[in-house]
Order: sequence, then C-alpha cells, then structure tokens
Amino acid sequence: MNTNIIVAGVGGQGSILASHIIAEAAIKAGSQKQQETNVRVGETFGAAMRGGAVSSHVRIGKVYGPLIGTGQADLVLAIEPLEGLRVGVKYLKKGGLAILNSEPLYPVDVKTGAAKYPSMDEISEIFAKLGARLITLNADKLALEAGHPKTISVVMLGAAFASGLLPFGEESIIEAITERVPQKTLEANLKAFRLGKEAFLNA
Amino acid sequence: MGSAILQQTGKRVLLMGNEAIARGAIEAGMQLMAAYPGTPSSEICEALISAAPESDYYVEWSTNEKISFEVAAGASLVGARSMAAMKNAGLNVAMDTFMTLPYGGVKGGMLIVVADDPDAHYSSTEQDTRFAAMYAEIPCLEPMDQQEAKEMAKAAFDISEDLELPVFLRSVSRISHASGDVELGPVNKTRNKIAFNKHYKVPYRWNVYGAPGALFKHKWLHNVLPKAKEAANKSEFNILNKTAGAKVGIIASGLAASYTKEAMARLGLEDKVSFLKLGFIYPLPDEKVTELLQGVDTVLIIEEGDPVVETMVRSLAKETAPGVKICGKSYNQILDPYGEINTDLVTKAIAKALNIEQPKEELEDLRTELKARVTPRSSTLCAGCSHLGTYSALREALKKFPGNHIINGDIGCYEQGGYGLFSSNVEGNSEDGKKYPVRSPYEILDTIYVMGSGIGMAHGQAQAGYKEGKVVAVAGDSTFIHATLPAVVNSVYSKADITFLVLDNSWTCMTGHQPNPVTGVNSLGEENKPFDIAGVSRAMGVEFVETVSAYDREKAAAAIENALNHEGPSIVILTGECQLQVQRRIKKTKTQTYVDVDTCNGCRICIQLGCSAVAFDLENKKAGIDELNCVDCGLCAQVCPQKAIKIGGRD
Repeated sequence: MNTNIIVAGVGGQGSILASHIIAEAAIKAGSQKQQETNVRVGETFGAAMRGGAVSSHVRIGKVYGPLIGTGQADLVLAIEPLEGLRVGVKYLKKGGLAILNSEPLYPVDVKTGAAKYPSMDEISEIFAKLGARLITLNADKLALEAGHPKTISVVMLGAAFASGLLPFGEESIIEAITERVPQKTLEANLKAFRLGKEAFLNA
Repeated sequence: MGSAILQQTGKRVLLMGNEAIARGAIEAGMQLMAAYPGTPSSEICEALISAAPESDYYVEWSTNEKISFEVAAGASLVGARSMAAMKNAGLNVAMDTFMTLPYGGVKGGMLIVVADDPDAHYSSTEQDTRFAAMYAEIPCLEPMDQQEAKEMAKAAFDISEDLELPVFLRSVSRISHASGDVELGPVNKTRNKIAFNKHYKVPYRWNVYGAPGALFKHKWLHNVLPKAKEAANKSEFNILNKTAGAKVGIIASGLAASYTKEAMARLGLEDKVSFLKLGFIYPLPDEKVTELLQGVDTVLIIEEGDPVVETMVRSLAKETAPGVKICGKSYNQILDPYGEINTDLVTKAIAKALNIEQPKEELEDLRTELKARVTPRSSTLCAGCSHLGTYSALREALKKFPGNHIINGDIGCYEQGGYGLFSSNVEGNSEDGKKYPVRSPYEILDTIYVMGSGIGMAHGQAQAGYKEGKVVAVAGDSTFIHATLPAVVNSVYSKADITFLVLDNSWTCMTGHQPNPVTGVNSLGEENKPFDIAGVSRAMGVEFVETVSAYDREKAAAAIENALNHEGPSIVILTGECQLQVQRRIKKTKTQTYVDVDTCNGCRICIQLGCSAVAFDLENKKAGIDELNCVDCGLCAQVCPQKAIKIGGRD
C-alpha cells in the first residue's frame, strides 16, 4: 500500500519542514520493521523570495519518482486554504481527505484588487464536488496557544497524524519532530502537535 | 542534529538529491570543491560548506562557474580528488575550459555535477547538458533517484581516475531538489598525494599546446573512449531485465527510469516487456543496448530532456537491429521534446505506443473546470525589498526624458522586474505594447537573458545608434562580479552612452543568500574586506560613479537622472541589504507604518510601488498596510502624494 500526501502552503510557513518530518518518520518506522519502504519527497521551491506557492509531495511505499500523479493524493495537508485548494483540485483522489488551516494569506493579486480570494463556502463546495472529506482548523490560533507562532506546520502535522492516514506510529513522528525542529522551540512544537491532534479529533 | 551529510555509515536517512551528491563525494574522499550558486544545484556546495568544519577538504564559493571549474581542474592536476557543481546555464559559462580539459585529461578523480532544469522552473532554458558531455567526449552519469545520485557521485571519482578523464554527473531539478531515503556508505579515509608531474604518461600532459600538440591529445582522448564504453557496458548503473519472448523493449535513463517503473506497474507490463535502465549513458553501453534490441519488434525510449539516448540508440540500431521500430521524442513521437515528464505522461506515452486502452482519470474534466476557480498567487519581490526602491526611483528619473527607453535586465531577484503582474492586457506588436506606460516594478525590464548579458546588450543598442530613448542595464552585486566586469571595460573603451545600475543588496539572494565578495564574509563565514564596487568601477575608467541608498527615493532618482544626463557610460550603485537577511538579524517589534485613512484618497500610487505589504481595500477605496509583512522601510510613505502613509505613532 502506497501513501501519497501533499503538504501545501506559502513560502516561509514551514510546509517543506512538515513534509520532511513525515518522510523522516516513515524512514524510522520502516527501519524498525526491517521492511523495504521507499520514501520520496518532491519539492517545489527555488528562489528565496517570500510569498510564493509551495507544495511538497510525500510518497511512502513501493514508490520511485518524487511526484504524485493526478488524482492520486490520499491526503492534502494545507497550511493555507487557497494553496490547499490549488493542489486539491489537481491531486486529491475521490474520497480523499483535505485538512486546511482556515487562516488565509492573501496573494498580492488579491491585495491590489486584481483578483478575488475564494470564500470558505466556495472552498468547501469545490472539495465537495471532488468527493473529498474536508476538515478545517485554525492552526494559527493553536500555534500561538502552543507558545510559538512558527509551530503552525506542526499543528497541521498533529491533525494529519490524528487522521490515521500516516503509515507509522506516534513515537516515529515525535522522534522526527524532535530531530528536525530547533531545540529551543521543542516544547512548543510538541504541544502544537498535541493541539493539532485534538483539534482534528474534535472537528 | 549536526550536518546531515556526516551521519553515521549504514544509517538510512532522508537526503535531498544535492545532499546525497555531497555525501557521495565525502564517501569518495573528495579533497576540493568549488561552485557558484545556481538553482537547483546550490545545496551541493552548501551541504559541503556546512560539513567543512568537521572535515578536511577545501570548499569555496567561486566568483563564477568557469572559475570554479578551473579551481577543481587545477586541483585535479596536482592529484586531488576534486569537484565542481553548477546549474545548466553555469556550464555555458564554464564551457571554454570544460571543452579543453579532456584533451589532457585529469590526474586526481574529477567530478563535474550539472543540474539541468526540465520545465525551466528556475532557469532561462531547458537545455539538456548531456549533449555537453558528449561534445567534450567525457563519461556521463544520470541518476534515477537520490540513493543512486550518492552512489554515482562516489563512483565518479574511481571512474575518473581509471579513465583519466573528468566525469559528468547530470542531475535534474526533480533529483537535486527532491528528497529520498538514502543508505549511507563507508567514508574513504585515504587522500590522494598532492604532487605535480609535468609529463605524466603523455608528454607535456597538462599543456594542450605543448608538443606533440592538441591533435595528438585529441587522439589520446579517442583511445580512452573504448575503455569508457567498456566501463559503461559493465556498469552497475545500467541494468537489463530481459523477459523471455517479449516483443517490446523499454529503455529509460536517469530519473525517467523511476517514472517508467511506476508507469509499467500501472499498466501491468512489468513481466511483459524487456527493460533496460540506463545510468551510465555516455559512451552508450552498446552491448547492453544491442542485447535488448535483438529479439524485440519495438523499443520505447523514455528520458528527461532532449532525445539524447534516443539519438544514440537509433544510430546503433541502424547497424545492429535495423528492423526495430523505435519510439521516443523524435520519430514515432510519444513524448514532447520540451517540458518535464512524470509518471502520468510516461504512462500515457507507453499506452499510446502499445495501443493499450487507458481509462481517463475519473474526475479529469471536473478538475480542469475547477482549476479556473483557483486564484493565482504571483511571485513578487519581498516586502520592503530594496529593488522596489530602485525601480521606483528609476521610473521617476525616466519621466524626465521623453522617449521609448530600453531597460536591460539580468539574473537575480530583480529579474522579477520583468515577470509582469498587472500587464497581462498588453498585446505584443501593438503600438501600445511597445510604449505601454510602466505601472508597476514588475513590468519595467525589457530584456532578460543570462548572467551579465544586460550590459553587453545595452552597449550594442547604444552603439547601433538607438536614439529613441535612454539605454539602461541593471545587475546585482554578485552578477556584477560574476559576468559584467569585462563588459564595463568594453563600454568605457568604446564610449557607449549607457547607464548601468548596480543593485547592491550584499548577498547572492535568489539562490539562498550565499555570501559573495561584496558581503564582507568569505564562503566559510569568516570576515574579510568587502569588494568595493564603486572603487573598481572608477578604476575601470567609468567617469560617472555614484552610490546612493535605494531607500532614499528622492536622492536615488536624482542620482539616476544625473547618470542618464551624463554622456558615456555611467554607473549608479543602489544599496540596501536584503530585507530577509535584515529581518533574520533584528527582532521585529510592532509595525510602525500605517495609512491615515482620512487623508488617503484612494489614488493607488502606493500600489504601483509593488510592495507585497501594501494592500488596497476595494470596498472602501483605501490603502492599507499588511502589518505581518511590513518591514517599516518607508518607501510607500515616500511615494504617497497625499502624505497619507505615516511611520511611527501608530496606536
């Protein structure tokens, strides 16, 4: 069984970090089980400039290439709703799950009045048309509650883990988080993970 | 966690392709590495720099790719295992030395990594540099994933020493900038001896002109190539899986092999076709390819980029299996010879070639329909970027001169000045299109090609007699050093009437904030004396040189106006450190900039600044400041004619 996940957001929000934590956790779990599991992360990032759309394809299983095919993602984890919509429309499979942070970051095209940002109702309607399950949570708020605004992506990881779609146990992802986040924010990140998990279960 | 690439042997870890290549070099006992930043290749050198304090090799950011290649070549001549890494376009810069080095060959193993960019995600072109390896007649490796990227980087040094030729490793964006699980191998602790033998095996070995001359050395190179072909035929990177009785053969090279394996699984073809996975692609392993060709009717060739393997296979098949039908990107086309491929496209290509009915993805039409409803997110300069100030001042200065001005761009964050944002309605070839009013900093650049090309082209426009407007070129600090210095001297020498703006933000930003000679620190972060752009410009003979802050709009516009009035080449250096770097250093307090809504008359001139922290409320017709992104640079306050944008005293 292969697992295909897309983590989407805006440059600087931590979507690449989140995708690496999922991938690293999968490697750790696979090593323990002594079974062959390939892990691939296809990243789209280039210029250091802020504010661009960023998405990371995480693939676990008998996989070779770094990209998920059209309509083959099991889970879209979006740190920004519009970016969740962008990848969801192309990649989310029928019956797949989208977890969206409800806090938008408006593109410059919207700020200048050249384009319109879709309403949450519109976003829900589109995911419904795709036959997808949609869960939203306010990860920005939960990150502040956890003690650090930059833990948004780890809040989202908590929600992703609670969905049951990640093919590894909690100790693997906790270990990966511990290795990948700055040590001085570890406590806040672990709390963020827990809050994200609870938010998903209560949603 | 310490440096990712120095983790323990035997461990399975997640590595980016570029990190995997760096680890491979460490496992091989690499002694010197040099590079110039270029997406998607930069992290190879970055990873080696981060591991340098715990290692014994030498590593540097050179001032351009040609120099980095020469640094690695020089190290190899004295016996060191060396490497250079660059992006596709970087190889064009290094080309002169790259083409000549193979005539004398190398002493210490030498690896040259070039990261191509199919789809041109981060590049001016999709150029397939495997042609360059063939052009220079050196072995070419192409990895299918991150693990193989590491193994190839490691093996390249042995292959290079065995053949006495530099070895070419061709990566692509989806290898270099993707990550995968990689099992780390043992690290070679022995180091090649550093020594120089003038006549090593061949007279005047390292002097192409030295008797018996270049022709003799080219002949020597051709005597090595059969040995290289033998290495390709025996290489563990080329794997042939022959299926008894199969009438279809598939050849896939590099990353394309990963996509092809998945496509074959989707189509249930795994045990029904013969499959040759290629990794050591030049010289073509003719025995393995012939073995595949014999016994099949049809061969499909899947590769990322141009039909490089395909052309070689067609030429071989003409001799060894002329009856076989070959499908690829040239004749019997199943894939486009442009754009990147993926598993979906390869699946469709194989299905088409073999007449396999492929059901459409269930929601395909719905997805196309819904895609139109997703708001775009244009890429922009960062909030408060000094280039916003420069472009605003340039537009202001140009208003003083009538005409159709030409602004030649260059490569760096400032190239976004040519990406367009509000200009989608401008039609090419119409009079309007030629003389459109510049409304934002994103439509100011008229030409963008490659590193350093702007000033050379400006020179040509001026010398051709262009008088309908001013001729301007822009380049950043790193680009100024990388490729514009001879062009500046050229403009002084031939007295071209051009204005050159140097946008000095202290770092090589677009590729991830690498230091350069202007920064004031070296590759390893040690302080040194910053390169003096103004002093060097004057020393090169430029009579008008002025340095001004990009954040002082009035002064910057005046300096540019004076430069435009000056006859002959003039240089204005616009300074302002990259705001991402500034914001990383300072602890941001509450944003001080705000719009006094009673004074704002909704003219939207502040929007034309193009700053992503300046917003406009369409309902109330008032400007606003995005507090999260604003860096209080003050540029929007300077452009507001109503003085409605204020700094300080915000409630």
